[in-house]
Amino acid sequence: MKRVFGLALGILTAIGGFVDIGDLVTNAVVGSRFGLSLAWVVVVGVLGICVFAQMSGRVAAVSGRATFELIRERLGPRLAVMNLGASFLINLMTLTAEIGGIALALQLVSSVNYLLWVPFSAIAVWLIIWRVKFKIMENVAGLVGLCLIGFAVGLFLLGPDWDELGRQVLQKVSTGTEKTSTYWFYAVALFGAAMTPYEVFFFSSGAVEEGWTTKDLAESRANVLVGFPLGGVLSLAIAGCAAVVLLPELIGVTTLSQVMLPVAMAGGKLLLAFIILGVVAATAGAALETTLSAGYTIAQFLGWPWGKFRPPAQAARFHLLMMVCLLIGLGTLMTGVDPIQVTELSVVFSAVALPLTYLPILIVANDPEYMGEHVNGRALNGIALVYLVIILAAALAAIPLLIITGAGQ
Amino acid sequence: MTSDNHRQSLRWLDAHLHLLDRQVLDVHGVPVAVVDDLELSDIPAGLEIPRDAPMPTITALLSGPTLATRIFGGRPPKSRMLRTPWVAVREVGVVIKLSVGRDTRDLSWTERWVRDHVIGRIPGGRHTPKGEESDHAQSNDRGGGAS
Repeated sequence: MKRVFGLALGILTAIGGFVDIGDLVTNAVVGSRFGLSLAWVVVVGVLGICVFAQMSGRVAAVSGRATFELIRERLGPRLAVMNLGASFLINLMTLTAEIGGIALALQLVSSVNYLLWVPFSAIAVWLIIWRVKFKIMENVAGLVGLCLIGFAVGLFLLGPDWDELGRQVLQKVSTGTEKTSTYWFYAVALFGAAMTPYEVFFFSSGAVEEGWTTKDLAESRANVLVGFPLGGVLSLAIAGCAAVVLLPELIGVTTLSQVMLPVAMAGGKLLLAFIILGVVAATAGAALETTLSAGYTIAQFLGWPWGKFRPPAQAARFHLLMMVCLLIGLGTLMTGVDPIQVTELSVVFSAVALPLTYLPILIVANDPEYMGEHVNGRALNGIALVYLVIILAAALAAIPLLIITGAGQ
Repeated sequence: MTSDNHRQSLRWLDAHLHLLDRQVLDVHGVPVAVVDDLELSDIPAGLEIPRDAPMPTITALLSGPTLATRIFGGRPPKSRMLRTPWVAVREVGVVIKLSVGRDTRDLSWTERWVRDHVIGRIPGGRHTPKGEESDHAQSNDRGGGAS
């Protein structure tokens, strides 16, 4: 009974935990400009994150090694430090975006300028990391994040023309005035948002935090394989809402309130309140994950003691590092930079760092010295190799597309 | 590999593959450092090496600020390296396990300084988050195992 409960809880958390500010914004932007014609990217991205998240979880459970330790061991210091630099900066950007997201959501509830909510959000994130148990932190954020199901409810309440939505999914190139390069720019952004590297850093380090062993493998696989795809459905619902309401009116998404506008139209205040709660939880959960990931990556690279399960004094540099990262994020937001733009950039840069993160996981998942009998099967390796090609293509295309399209303008 | 402590002394170890950049854990499973460099027993420089001279052996694992020097070349001063004698190595596997506890003197000064001056002074800094202890009873010898 306890197992079943644990499984259900894990799946629910995975659904709620999959969507963060990057997914919220990018899906709404894409929905409002391209309808559902980029839905295939979400499907590809979700399958990809499933493959690699469960691989990194399995490596962590069997060998007790988190992802960034492996990255350094397998890539050597030169390449690994490049990856560390890129991952850390992107992670910092994502962290900034998530804190901005919490503040923007709170602004919607309170009508108090989001800049006043930024310090409050950052301090709340720090307090949770400082004091709250890992499991509780993860479960509460994930479960409350489930309120985002309101987007799916909203889509049904809007009563869209499903045939039209279906046509959008199947048609390859965008409608109207959008250029092909912009279409592909957003394809890369959506892919980056779905496969953000911090998800595997967090997932594998979380497995070590929770002391997973080979006994937990089945549960972790179920969490990933059911939870993430359902999270992907939420992403599609967000895009769908934007496609139904914003696309015909040619409203481009530039604020968080526009992301929620369709839901407010469909379900009124009650559903809107529900969604806002979901957004606060999802962004707060992601802020916690990115802050911890910032600590995990550097601590694992340099061999420092790390982990929330230790008293902070026994992982002193790890905790200090996270405080500094939160302060940098806070400082960046206080300059008045638009959190939505930070988000859009962070998902594109995520795509750049993907290959160097996922390659070492794949190598180690095939190494019997680490994995014993739990090495990858052939089918999984096949899929993972196909994904490495896609990831590499997305990484190479990201920066040129960013420049050509002027960040999708 | 002269040490009797080393159980797997008959196995081939590739310095690059099995030692460099590996995580070092102390006897309680607490991360100590990452292996940045190896210290070998002296080979007299500039002299002709006699045919029957003993093979150089690893005398210590070194950790320190070698990141920049491994990328750009050069070598940091010896005084800045944290030295772990090879005799203290209990096992070389996916992590390198030591047979000794991590003595306070071996902690690099930054960790100690941050602990004593910053983290340890913030309320709650020396407590385990509520309920965490029970979850980590059996995980002592794993990567991030509890202390």
